Amino acid sequence: MIEWLYLAAQAAALAMGAWFFVETARSRQVSRRHFAGVAVLEAFLLAQLVAGIAIVPGEPGGGKGLFFSYLVTAMLVPVAAAFWGSIDRSRWGIGTVAASGVVVAALLLRVHQIWEYQIHVG
Amino acid sequence: MSAEPQAAPPRTLADGFGRLIVLVYIVFAVSAGARAGYQVATKFGEAPLSFSLSAVAALIYLVAAVAIVRGASRTALAAVGVELAGVLAVGALSFADPAWFPEPSVWSHFGSGYGYVPLVLPAVGLVYLLKRRKDA
Repeated sequence: MIEWLYLAAQAAALAMGAWFFVETARSRQVSRRHFAGVAVLEAFLLAQLVAGIAIVPGEPGGGKGLFFSYLVTAMLVPVAAAFWGSIDRSRWGIGTVAASGVVVAALLLRVHQIWEYQIHVG
Repeated sequence: MSAEPQAAPPRTLADGFGRLIVLVYIVFAVSAGARAGYQVATKFGEAPLSFSLSAVAALIYLVAAVAIVRGASRTALAAVGVELAGVLAVGALSFADPAWFPEPSVWSHFGSGYGYVPLVLPAVGLVYLLKRRKDA
């Protein structure tokens, strides 16, 4: 993993989560700018995936399947949450999408651990 | 007649805050389930109890999520109750006798490997379900 790219994606996930939790407190409905926010996070994750596909297969360690399954899961969660949240009319619609940002951050942490301790060894 | 106010659809368990709970339950069912499946397939012999427990936990998460989505409040309460009991029992046991759990399961050490979400989730879920039952 490229360290600065990982940190940027992590920051994007946490920033999106924080922003959406503020929107939750304001009882906002899921709207177009929130989808734009999800799209920005997805762009970071996609960059992460492309970088992973370029770098990971050439590394000596194992756990590569785990690496990609966590990364792809991280990409799916905010999209699913955005659809699942947008059909709710209470404040917790956007709250659900906010929680998905925290989930992505946790999954990325795990992706990074797999990279550090299993794939990028020696 | 067309001026009649549109009746709002009844609020189900999966509306509002329930939506966030369902999302977290699904994420945990998938991640604990996939991890347990992987561990059972590759190294079951190393820690059969831990891996089986993780698989059971994943199943309970799935039951809770489906029950909340379908509005089956009793099933949801039962699943969340079992989950809370499980995380408390396994958490305490893993501190009392770590030899039982050479590999961490979702519930050992009260879910510390998962940011204590496995401990907080059933507590929050229980409060939510009981509150909604009272309101109904």
